[in-house]
Parts: sequence; C-alpha cells; structure tokens
Amino acid sequence: MASETNTSSQTNTSQAGVPKALRFPIAAAEIFRKRQSLKKELLEQTNLLPSRIAILGGSTTVEVKGMLELFLLAQGIRPTFYESGYNRYSEDVLFENPDLWNFKPDIVFIHTTWHNVSQFPDLLQTEAEVEDRVRHEMGRFESLWEKIHTKLGAVIIQNNFDLPHVRPLGNLEASQSFTRVNFLLRMNTEFAKYARNHSRFLINDILYLSAQVGLDAWHGRTYWYNFHMALSPAGTVSLAQNVAAIAKSIYGRSKKCLVLDLDNTLWGGVVGDDGAQNLVLGRDNPVGEAFLDFQRYVKDLQRRGIILAVCSKNDIENAKEGFSHPDSLLKLEDFSAFVANWNPKPDNIRQIAAELNIGLDSMVFVDDNPAERALVAAQLPEVAVPEVGSTVSRFAEVLDHEKYFEVDKLVQDDLNRSAYYNSNAERSAYQAGFQDYGEFLASLEMSAEIAAFSPVYLERITQLINKTNQFNLTTTRYTGAEVEAISKSPGYITLYGRLADRFGDNGLVSVLIGRVVQETLELDLWLMSCRVLNREMELAMFDALVEQSQVRGIRKIVGVYIPSKKNSMVAGHYAGFGFTRGSVSSGNRELWHYDIAQPYSARTRFIRRTTEALPTAANS
Amino acid sequence: MPKMTREEFLLQMDEILGLRAKTLRGDEELGELENWDSTALISLIVLAETNGAQISPDQVVSCTTVADLLRIAQVEDSSS
Repeated sequence: MASETNTSSQTNTSQAGVPKALRFPIAAAEIFRKRQSLKKELLEQTNLLPSRIAILGGSTTVEVKGMLELFLLAQGIRPTFYESGYNRYSEDVLFENPDLWNFKPDIVFIHTTWHNVSQFPDLLQTEAEVEDRVRHEMGRFESLWEKIHTKLGAVIIQNNFDLPHVRPLGNLEASQSFTRVNFLLRMNTEFAKYARNHSRFLINDILYLSAQVGLDAWHGRTYWYNFHMALSPAGTVSLAQNVAAIAKSIYGRSKKCLVLDLDNTLWGGVVGDDGAQNLVLGRDNPVGEAFLDFQRYVKDLQRRGIILAVCSKNDIENAKEGFSHPDSLLKLEDFSAFVANWNPKPDNIRQIAAELNIGLDSMVFVDDNPAERALVAAQLPEVAVPEVGSTVSRFAEVLDHEKYFEVDKLVQDDLNRSAYYNSNAERSAYQAGFQDYGEFLASLEMSAEIAAFSPVYLERITQLINKTNQFNLTTTRYTGAEVEAISKSPGYITLYGRLADRFGDNGLVSVLIGRVVQETLELDLWLMSCRVLNREMELAMFDALVEQSQVRGIRKIVGVYIPSKKNSMVAGHYAGFGFTRGSVSSGNRELWHYDIAQPYSARTRFIRRTTEALPTAANS
Repeated sequence: MPKMTREEFLLQMDEILGLRAKTLRGDEELGELENWDSTALISLIVLAETNGAQISPDQVVSCTTVADLLRIAQVEDSSS
C-alpha cells in the first residue's frame, strides 16, 4: 500500500519518484524545513539526467537555487548550477564573465522581477513617451538574450514581470499608460512577443504565479529587506516548481497520456446502477456543472495532444453508454484506449500502455476513489497518481498545478496525436483480418517521405530526439541549436522520415544522423517512434541512408548501439541489417560495421518513397 | 492556529539541521551546531512564521542558544 507519512518520519517518497512534500498542495514551510532530507533522498535516484543551469539573478538567488534543485531532482534532472553575483544578471552576460562562459550552460534562467525595471515612466507621460520607455527597456533585455543565444547557445528561461505590492495611484494604475502596473503589463506583452518569434526562449510566467499565490503572500517584505529575496518562501517554492516544469518540458519528459476512471470522475453517479440518462452531468445543478467543466478541461488537454484513455470498473457496454448522455462533452472517439472490466486497475493500465506503445512513466491516472489510487500508486510506481481527492470541482486544479503536461512548443503533429493513435486502433482491428502479415502491410498502402532535415521540421525532429527512448540506438540528445547546426553542416548526413497509410498520416516518426569520417559514415543517432513499429519503416530509412551514402562516396556504414534501460528492443537492430559486430569501446558503445553492397538492392517491400511532401491535415 | 509546543519546535529544528529526530534538547549552543547557516536561518524564519512570530536576522544574531530561539519564536515554555 502507499506509504504513510507521519510528521517525524524520515520517509518522504510516496510514488513516481516525487516526494509527497513536493506535490500538490505544496507547503513552503514544510519543504524549507525538510530540504536536507529531501535532497538526500532524491539524489539516491538512478538515471538522473544531468543539466547545467546558470541562474542570473536580479536579486538574491540562493534560495531559488536550493528550491529549484529539489524540484528538478523530483523530475529526474540532476542540475549543476552557476549563480551570478548579486544582481549581476546583466553584467555577467554583457561583459562575458569568464566563469559563466566557461560553465557552458544548457539552460540560462534569468531571475528578474519588477524590482529590476531600470526606469518607470514619469507621471502624465504620453502614450508615445511610455512606448519609448518600453522600447528602451526591451532593448536592454534583447541585447542579453541575443548574446546568450549566439555566444552560449543555451535555452533561455526568462521571468516576465510580477506586479508591485502597492499601487500609489490605486485603481487608476489599470487604465493609465504611465503607471507602473501598465508599464509592467506592456513589458510582459513585449516579452511574450519575443518568445513567439524566437526559439529556445521560454517565459516563466511569474505574473500568473504571483496571482495564484496572491501578491501579499508572493512578496515577503521581511525577506526583501533582510535578504533582498524578491520572493517570499512561498513565492520561491511556486517559482521553483514552475521552472522545473519548464525544464522538464525542454528535455521532453512531460507526460503524454491521461488515464481516467469514469464513475464519479467524469460524471456523477455509477452508470451501471443508475443508467446513462440519470448520470449527474450538465448545467442544471452544481455537481453536474462541475463534472461538465472537468470534461471540458480533459477535452482541452486532448485537443492539444494529450492522449486520453479510460480505465473503469464496469461492464464495457455500460461504460460506453455513459458517453451517450446528451450533456457529455467527451465522446468515445476522444479516447485512444478504452478498458472497462472488473480486473484490477494496475493490470488494465499496463494493458493500455502496451496497446498504445507508451511507457508507464508517461501516464497520469485520475480516479476519485482513494483505494484505487493507492493500489495503482503502489503497484505501478512509474505512473503519476495525483491526489485529486473526491470533489470533482478540484480535479482540474490538481492536474493543472502538478504541471504534468507542460510543453515548450505546440506543433501541428501534437494536435493530430489522438487521430494517429485512434487510427492505430483501426489498423489493429484491420490487421486482425489478415492471415499473412506481409499481405496486411501491403494492403496498408504505406508511403514515406524521407529526406534531409529541413527547417520546417527542425522543431518536431528535436522533440523526437529528446523524447524517444525505446527505439533509439544511442539515446544521444541534441538541443534545437545543435540540430540546426547539424542540418547545415556538410560533415553530416541527416534523414527524417514521415509515414502515411490508408488510415492516415503518422507524421514525422524517424530520425537518422550520420557523421562523415572520410569514406565511412558513423551513425550517431537512429530513432523511430513506437507508434510505427513493425511497419518496416526502418528498412525504408536504411535504403534512403544507403542512397545518400553512395552519393557522398561513402563505402562503409558504422552503426553505434549504446544499451540503456529502455532500448533493449534494438539490441539486435544492426545484426538484423547484416552488420558485423566490431569492438565495444568504453561506456558500452558497440560498433557494428557494414560495407555497402555493390550493387545494393533496396530492402523496402511495402513502403512507397515519395519525394514530394505528404499531405498533412492542414493542407489536405 | 494553535501555538507550537516546545517538543514540536525542537523536532522541526532537528529536521532543519539535518539531525535525527529528538536530537535537540533545547540548551545547545548555536555555535556548536553543524549546519547552522544562512539556509537554516531562512528555514527558521519560515518556521517561526507558522507559529505567528515574525523574527528578523538581527534578532537571531543576538541568540546564543537554542533556548533563545525558542523564546523569540514565541514557543511555549512548558512541555505538556
């Protein structure tokens, strides 16, 4: 069963590697008190992803660093920090502080707040004069960001501005252009615009966080005057949790799938007993309205690319009936997996993961029943199980505050994700009708677009590189900047692959990066999305790779396999292609050799290669 | 919110200082405590806040023993 914690116990972890104290609802006093034991416990995790993070502060950052470390560790990221001198965020960058430069950060977090505005407008200045001030202040920040991008190549996480704790002009501050409140909101609009127009630049929305925490609680006056901490401990904890969520999204570690119970989770009542028409759902009463709003929140998640699954203790026909309620916003087709039976939920969730070909660690399970939650949490520690309670009006808030689904970019492929998974279900059903697997593959009428990296796909390519764990020969991660550099470099052969079939478009699903070393090509990266396993897509990628290699005069391809906890499925990948095993160097780097056959006969059997772009949902 | 008892405060100080539960008795010299640093100071201020006491670093600097801290944090003296 889930571990009990008592106030003096040293056991902090509940499940999924995130200690109870760091999960919603977060109590800053508790985290500050337990920080030593929390850090010790979190450092015992294995397979932590190292990350170099520079904190450039406009105020005291030592507590920000301490709290950020805890929340990052809870996300499986082990940070090494650089901390600027007090309020030296600007000087460190402009004067290229060698300590910062030599630190080579992956992420630069700029911790500025309203205190760091160099000059607010004067009273009764015109709108044009205020805009001049905005421009001037933006220029100051832009020169920092540009320098960080071009010289350090790091991803930037930049605080926008919070609002001051007092308003000398009272409510007028909201409407007049020369006020502090208006100026800060104008700056935030400009910061947002910069974020939209620049990659590897993310806003840490402290305007929102401070609203959530409450301005009075956010600004700790004692802490400002005694320590020049811009935020109270409660504010610091809220900020640290948010920045850790952003960092998690940069590394592609956010959750992908929401698994939902039905009775008293998506509607009020028990559909098997009450019948679908008697479920509490709809605007005519408070509880029904709350369920409807939760359905709306879930639907909004699905719309932006989160996969939905049902895991319910019900006869399946009754479970499905519930969605025929006239007020049900969610429909059966919104779910990519639907399991309803009387088996234990942990078994069903494992089944869902297998069906969808996703890891347990990418799933979030929501159930109003604490016993079900405890059972899943105990038996499937990789699944995130938020303590949603049993009051539906709080479910969305808990999910929201845990930030499971944080994303650093939204691309068209995300919006189509449900459709991909749903059409996979169609494919599975279709496949069941075939005796011969080859016949099935042929009948899919697959076509693939395989070409060198192009600018329009770089974001999706980077996303795949950082998220794919199973069909990934080396698990080498590249930042967006590195991917872009590789795409432009003549020292590399790059390939992406998109796959479509009669059921729909799977999107961009495979990435290959080979490094040219005279007449040899060394494959630094070969990965493929699990949603297209067993379609022979890898054969098509290999044919394209050989073609490109021959054009470049390459005679030998060297495959690299670095075993990891998650990629055992590709241990025999190169053997399957007829590579011969070579040496194993330090760090378990297996080298496999292939002399390109003369002549080379293409291996692809069922996939037609196209050179034109495949039609996408947007342009078909 | 009810005030903290002496026992509760000492247990929480144990946690702040990374000590095993029930290590602190309340008469220790602050200078002898490992981990009594600026990080612990902030945690102490937060702890006192939960007890309804606003303390400042200046006040803490004038303390020499754990008992002094109990006093400025407005923790009850008797244990019951």
